[in-house]
Amino acid sequence: MKITRRIFTSMVAGVVLAATGIIGSVSAADMPAPFDKPSEVKIALVRYLSTGDFFQAYLAGVESQAKILGVDLRILDSRQDAALQADMVDQAIALGVDGIIVQHGLTESMQEAVKRAIAAGIKVVAFDVDVENPDVPQIEQSDFMLAKMALDQAIIDNGTTFNAGYVYVPGIAPLDRRDVAWKEVKDANPGIKQLAEFGTLDNPIANSVANQARSVLAANPTITVMFAPYDEFAKGVKIAVDEAGMTSQVKIYSADVSTSDISAMREEGSAWAATAATNPAVVGEVSVRVLAMLLAGEDPGHNVVVPPTLITQTMLNDGDIKNMKELSAKIPAFAHADVAVPAWMPLPKR
Amino acid sequence: MKQASLSKDKIKAVAIRYGFLTLLAGLVLFFSLSAPGFATPFSAVFIFQSVAITGILALGVTATLVVDGFDLSIGSIATSSLMLSAYIMVVLEQNAVVAVIACLAMGAIVGLVNGVLIVYMRVPDLLATLGMMFLLIGLQRIPTEGRSIAQGMTLPGGETATGVFSKSFLALGRHKFDFFIENFIPFSVIIFVVIAVLIWLYFEFTRYGRVMYAIGSNERAAGLAGVPVHKYKIIAYMISGVLASVGGILLAARLGRGDIASGNNLLLDSVAAALIGFAVLGAAKPNAFGTAIGALFVGILLQGMTMMNAPYYTQDFVKGAVLVVALVFTFSLSNRR
Amino acid sequence: MGKVNSSIKLTGLEKSFGSNRVLRGIDLDIPAGEVTILMGANGAGKSTLVKVMCGVHKADSGTIYLAGEEFNPQTPAEAIKAGIVTVHQNINDGVVPDLDVASNLMLDVLANPHSSVFLLPSKIRKSAKQAAERLGLDLDMRAPVHSLSLADKQLVAITRAMAHEPNLLILDEPTSSLSLSETQRLFELLDRLKARGVAILYISHRMSDIKRMADRIVSMRDGEVSGVFEGDDLDYIGAVNAMLGRKIADVDIQIPEVGAPVLELENIQLLPSSKPFSLAAHKNEIIVITGLVGVGKSLLASVLFGREALFKGEISLNGQKYNPKNITDAINEGVFLCAKDRGTNGIIPEFNISHNISLPFLSTLSKFGFIGRGAERGFAKTAIKDLGIICQGEDDNIEELSGGNQQKVMVARWLMKSSKLLILDEPFQGVDIAARRDIGNKLRETAKDRATIVFVTELDEALEIADRIFVMSEHGVVGEHRNMNADADLILAQVLGDQVMDKRMNKNIGISEGAAL
Repeated sequence: MKITRRIFTSMVAGVVLAATGIIGSVSAADMPAPFDKPSEVKIALVRYLSTGDFFQAYLAGVESQAKILGVDLRILDSRQDAALQADMVDQAIALGVDGIIVQHGLTESMQEAVKRAIAAGIKVVAFDVDVENPDVPQIEQSDFMLAKMALDQAIIDNGTTFNAGYVYVPGIAPLDRRDVAWKEVKDANPGIKQLAEFGTLDNPIANSVANQARSVLAANPTITVMFAPYDEFAKGVKIAVDEAGMTSQVKIYSADVSTSDISAMREEGSAWAATAATNPAVVGEVSVRVLAMLLAGEDPGHNVVVPPTLITQTMLNDGDIKNMKELSAKIPAFAHADVAVPAWMPLPKR
Repeated sequence: MKQASLSKDKIKAVAIRYGFLTLLAGLVLFFSLSAPGFATPFSAVFIFQSVAITGILALGVTATLVVDGFDLSIGSIATSSLMLSAYIMVVLEQNAVVAVIACLAMGAIVGLVNGVLIVYMRVPDLLATLGMMFLLIGLQRIPTEGRSIAQGMTLPGGETATGVFSKSFLALGRHKFDFFIENFIPFSVIIFVVIAVLIWLYFEFTRYGRVMYAIGSNERAAGLAGVPVHKYKIIAYMISGVLASVGGILLAARLGRGDIASGNNLLLDSVAAALIGFAVLGAAKPNAFGTAIGALFVGILLQGMTMMNAPYYTQDFVKGAVLVVALVFTFSLSNRR
Repeated sequence: MGKVNSSIKLTGLEKSFGSNRVLRGIDLDIPAGEVTILMGANGAGKSTLVKVMCGVHKADSGTIYLAGEEFNPQTPAEAIKAGIVTVHQNINDGVVPDLDVASNLMLDVLANPHSSVFLLPSKIRKSAKQAAERLGLDLDMRAPVHSLSLADKQLVAITRAMAHEPNLLILDEPTSSLSLSETQRLFELLDRLKARGVAILYISHRMSDIKRMADRIVSMRDGEVSGVFEGDDLDYIGAVNAMLGRKIADVDIQIPEVGAPVLELENIQLLPSSKPFSLAAHKNEIIVITGLVGVGKSLLASVLFGREALFKGEISLNGQKYNPKNITDAINEGVFLCAKDRGTNGIIPEFNISHNISLPFLSTLSKFGFIGRGAERGFAKTAIKDLGIICQGEDDNIEELSGGNQQKVMVARWLMKSSKLLILDEPFQGVDIAARRDIGNKLRETAKDRATIVFVTELDEALEIADRIFVMSEHGVVGEHRNMNADADLILAQVLGDQVMDKRMNKNIGISEGAAL
């Protein structure tokens, strides 16, 4: 179902692309209203979560796309205060913005606030929070696809018969969505045996998971694949695999990526074989582009999915990629998503 | 009838003294039989390795408990030390020695500040160290604007960090010494054992340790016996701070990067280990040997349960249950406060 | 209020702690409407007996009969409900320091689940005041109890106990910190309760109290009743003998030749308002400084031990100027203080005997910081033998010892190293006569090369041990006596000064009538 949604989205994108393509080359003068006078367009980013690498990168994406569009961006950060976030939407309404990006938050608190914004004639898009409003496009990274992509690679590397260990903490929404993919893959391949399931969010997470993974490897020395669909988990599993001296025997597949993940994957003979990730900066850019399409009177579709990219150890080594910057530079699929890109849309420089 | 009650008392005394160690032995036996791979030298070494960091922190907790204090900031001292060592090597491009010294100094200074707040500013210990905990959680994020530190990271200014985790620093968390078996005993385990022995010697056999117990038992009387109470209380918090920073160094060496973390789980686990230590050998007081055993107890439980595929929340439950049992041993059976 | 029938009878009561048989079959009558004095040396089992009666401990065997019916309280609450009310020696058990006087007095009403949920402070204060007035007490109802003097705290505890309309009132050394007038008020109150038919069990060492109150005397020794004395003409000497198991001869002080002066106080002034005084303490001399509580004894001790600064004047030690900045200074100069109130100021409750003794002098026992355990034990063993500390061994926890033996450990602590000046502040607090003698003898034995100053409030203690007695009043010295046929009446007059009738007396905790003995 997710796949069909994705197809739908790309179809929409394609149609839009085709439709706008006729207009021809992009310059400020050619831009649809109101972007013919972009400095008069005001948009607001209302954030719920902001600390951490992911959110830093997301913000960077929002900023760069807003800059290339030339619009006036206001950032309102509620720092995990749900009530404050709702107030901030009202604050944005009072500021007279044209569009609002809601980044995370709680459905309960944001639903009404978003309704008030729409009633005030403001266009709204939401990232990773379901505001349950047909007028608000929902932007999301597909956790299901992240997991699926990594697992597909695992099957390519290891065949369909192997003993696996699985790291999972139920009750965490993105992990639950990734778990769906793991269950599907397991059901489809009876040769894949899950010998152990473990996981914890005790911080530092990598250290706690490493302790657990050590015990699991001692109890199940026949494990050859570890599926750790969160990079902190994968980091912990890698520490345990190295400490147990099983580096050459076990392969780790994960989701998400960061600079330190890249260096861990690129260590000599690293057990960390592949990861699938969505570039948070790209998600930020897409958020702004979807909002811009709305403002220009175009329809980006209700669900806008930013597709993930598979990153393997080989890709990193071949490109001599050392950090996120180089990853963006050398793997175009990671640096840019062909989502919400009408012809008039200026794109940030790579 | 008198005979009966006499032997009853004797049984109770033996139960208090050896009850917890017996429980530990029983647990080891149970896991050996029911979890394949548990009863191996590698498994034993690994249990030590998994508890090394919380064990070292717990020894610091013991030091403050001895003077009847409490340090809530150790978890955040450890994670600050983790960030600081990463920052010094990756961003400032210094070597392992500088990083270690800086972390130890940071721990000592934080302990000193805690001590001064408590002793001279008369802030209650829980509040002073709670404040310090929040302060450090915030402070460790400031230099990197909330980012974790890794080799090749992009700095707030936009440029790329060129420093690396030095090999000798990583060895603190990763190197293994040969001991009958090649690559057998990890460096961190040796550090843990050495610190445990030193702290044990300090509190059991030196006059400084003795005097600190006296302060914890009756501060006023200790002062009237000529003990410089303020000085020793501050020393206790400094021991706690330095040991927490050692824990952070080992954490950094194991993880190979600087992770943003509050360290609250480290705090809770190490306090649990120190409190479980009260029950070991019926000590009914904070003691280094008990603390080390307490940390191992938790490690064995978690190792065994993980090997038997018990989910993480049952592990928390069991940890809590062990703590409660230990406290009952200590406070109810031994007729102490 | 009608008479209550409240006689208590104990038969064959036994209680052991581990191998230690504390009560070895106690048979005891406590008749209604009489005051039964319970005497016993520290460690005789008095406290345990009281704790069994008030439900803290459970007897191993034996029975308690209350008004003819079998009664074995399982909890303190049960005992209180049955009308057995105890005022413990440790005053902090009886009061809540952070609440005000009124709330303390009304605590049982407040804690009663049937009383009203809302507290009207004015109403509480009113009923508290009434309760206090019934005992003739005038206390500030709003004052927090922790700000009160020890005596006032005790009165609060007793007043609270009275609210229970007791059948049996147990008082454990109630007058040990009360002033003369407060003691008188307590006695008047006990007379009234007696007339009402309440049985009273009164534990005391103080002969004046005993003479004033006793209808019967029961002596205890080694967990057994060693003598019961009744009748119109009570045999006090017999009671003391039964308690101690030996006859205590009058102490015969042979005042020895004194050596060179050690401590010289030259025209020192403790407070801006007080009169200056001088004093010299010599080698081989035991000086007692006596006086009421609050006349500057403790301040003088604190000055000598480096805890307080001297207002004016000069102190010299062995001819050198002596001006300690802190306790460590004082100890390094060879001035030791065995503080009063050993429970709060002396003992380390979690330590054993030998660790308690060695605490101030660990550095001399240690090499590179490591304590020489053999030497430490040696000191403790010697002290146990020399002072006759009753215990199983030097590894016994200090809290397992009786009060007198704990005090011996405290004295042993400061005798471990030789000193130039040894100060003992109230060393006989809660110490039975036998232990007092042991401590006194030991002080005398070791006094040769140092000066010794003992601060006491009770005059009989002073007369028992002193070579010279100084009397303090209003932060100055008002009298000096050589303890040879000293005129006890004159000393007492000086102690009381002209302030006997002063209204401040209520606040000062007084000297006991024991002085008149």
